[in-house]
Amino acid sequence: MDIAATQELNVLLVEDDKQKAQSLIGALDRSQYCIRHITTTGMPLLKQVEALQPDVIVIDVESPSRDVLESLSIISLANPKPIVMFSEQNDTETISQSVKSGVSAYIAGDIAFERVRSILDTAVARFSEYQLLKKELVHTKQKLSSQRVVEQAKIWLMETKNLTEKEAYHRIRKMAMDNSQKLEEVARSILSLAKMLEKSS
Amino acid sequence: MIKESQPRYLVEKSDINIGFMPLADCAPLAVALEQGYFKEQGLNVTLKKQYSWATMRDKLHAGVLDAAQLLAPMPLASSLGINGEKHQVIAPMVLSQNGNAITLSMALYEEVKAFNKLTTLDIPLSAGLLKPIIKARKSVGQKLTFATVYPHSCHYYQLCSWFEHNNIAIDDVEILIITPVNMVEALRSEDIDGFCVGGPWNAKAVRDGVGVTCVTSCDIWPNIPEKVLGMLADWQKSYPETTKALIYALRKACNWLSNVANRFEAARLLSQHQYLDLHLSVIAPSLIGSCLVHHQQSPRHVPSYNQFSSEGAECINRPDHFKGEWLLSHMCKVGQVSSDKLSKNIVAEVFRQDIYQQTFAPKFLVSDIDETTTDIAEQA
Repeated sequence: MDIAATQELNVLLVEDDKQKAQSLIGALDRSQYCIRHITTTGMPLLKQVEALQPDVIVIDVESPSRDVLESLSIISLANPKPIVMFSEQNDTETISQSVKSGVSAYIAGDIAFERVRSILDTAVARFSEYQLLKKELVHTKQKLSSQRVVEQAKIWLMETKNLTEKEAYHRIRKMAMDNSQKLEEVARSILSLAKMLEKSS
Repeated sequence: MIKESQPRYLVEKSDINIGFMPLADCAPLAVALEQGYFKEQGLNVTLKKQYSWATMRDKLHAGVLDAAQLLAPMPLASSLGINGEKHQVIAPMVLSQNGNAITLSMALYEEVKAFNKLTTLDIPLSAGLLKPIIKARKSVGQKLTFATVYPHSCHYYQLCSWFEHNNIAIDDVEILIITPVNMVEALRSEDIDGFCVGGPWNAKAVRDGVGVTCVTSCDIWPNIPEKVLGMLADWQKSYPETTKALIYALRKACNWLSNVANRFEAARLLSQHQYLDLHLSVIAPSLIGSCLVHHQQSPRHVPSYNQFSSEGAECINRPDHFKGEWLLSHMCKVGQVSSDKLSKNIVAEVFRQDIYQQTFAPKFLVSDIDETTTDIAEQA
């Protein structure tokens, strides 16, 4: 995703401290950013992220909500978002140097604010790359799960039709060839049939 | 014959920053500091309170923190590069085991009774009893929602195991990450139906009358490392003797915590502002082996609810490889890492039982150490 410098970036600022929030908002150019400021945590925060769909989230490095936001890219079904952290502590520069890739970026409290735009843009770009990698991983997982479905269908055939494992597999394969379907599709049909039979019995 | 404790190691670095999370099982760190065990080893330790695991991890990676109290799977996640930037993080000591529990909302608890036509529920609760509810929700396009604290945590894997043991597919429920401090509120507002967290948040939910603690980690998979001492592999290489001194002081704290009366004292200590800043009545239960279940019922006796040390041959503080393997297998199971991409030595590189053992190696057993230290060496 290439964000042109002229395009407005939707920024969600999560900060309890109004003063801190104001100084950060003040430093960002209003013509380039559409900034929403919220102070919620926990579930309400997740709902806001879902509703507002920001391009990037900006959060205090010491906020407990960081784990919540970061996890969106690891386990949650919700749309993951790039996160940029800010801090007033001097050690942030050190952290920033060590966090060169990944989904997060750091900005120190006393930074030159001309750099903010580039930091935000970089964070968004890096994040897109990361997402691409994630998608590939999901693809691999799907492959594995399709093997599992075939396995389950085989077991059902073995148990209900009294077949050996080899016979069960051949039956699924024959059905797939006859109907020009994938093994996985046939296995899924078998399993849903099995479910229906179970219900009616 | 008890003599003044003396430093056992020639520490290379005395000013040490250790990150900790304000949870019941940060007790070994607080005790080592307050009882002067770090000082005895010539260490000037500052405990730095942290508010998120992600930031603790980044600070450790960057060297802002020298060492940290980490969730046991975190050093593996860092070393595998699946948790932020890849950094070789080691765990040379286990700080605690157990301590987590699953708490259901009052509404879900009542629903479980109603759906299963039961007047009381056996605790520990089988997740199987949730099945009819999960099915009913599914038919209207809904899912039960559970929250936990971090993706690379025993809490998350234990929650998944609880479902899997009862043939409930993880996809049939929704699992979210929210901050421990927000858990009780989320349960109260019925935004979530249950959560899996560590102390003191289960006890808080029960005391507040918003939840029922139905199953503890001791019921799901007992005696697996919960929190570990984590540090960069390079840090340990630069400061090998300092690492041993840290382990030694923390082991002494863990031993002190083997006594129930001392654990109550620890709870009192942890209630202070610089630690958990919460009331003793919610911190103490899990520490003294009491699992609050329901605000109108008697608590359950779970002796190893928060366990910091053990007697006898098996030492829980030693980061055994097979326990590391166990954690890694769960990371694979939930799809955080694929098993075919793992290097063979990953667990041995992270769970450094060798460093732990060197710390208590007999060659250090000179006559001028006190009885406590002798005990430690024998148990290690």
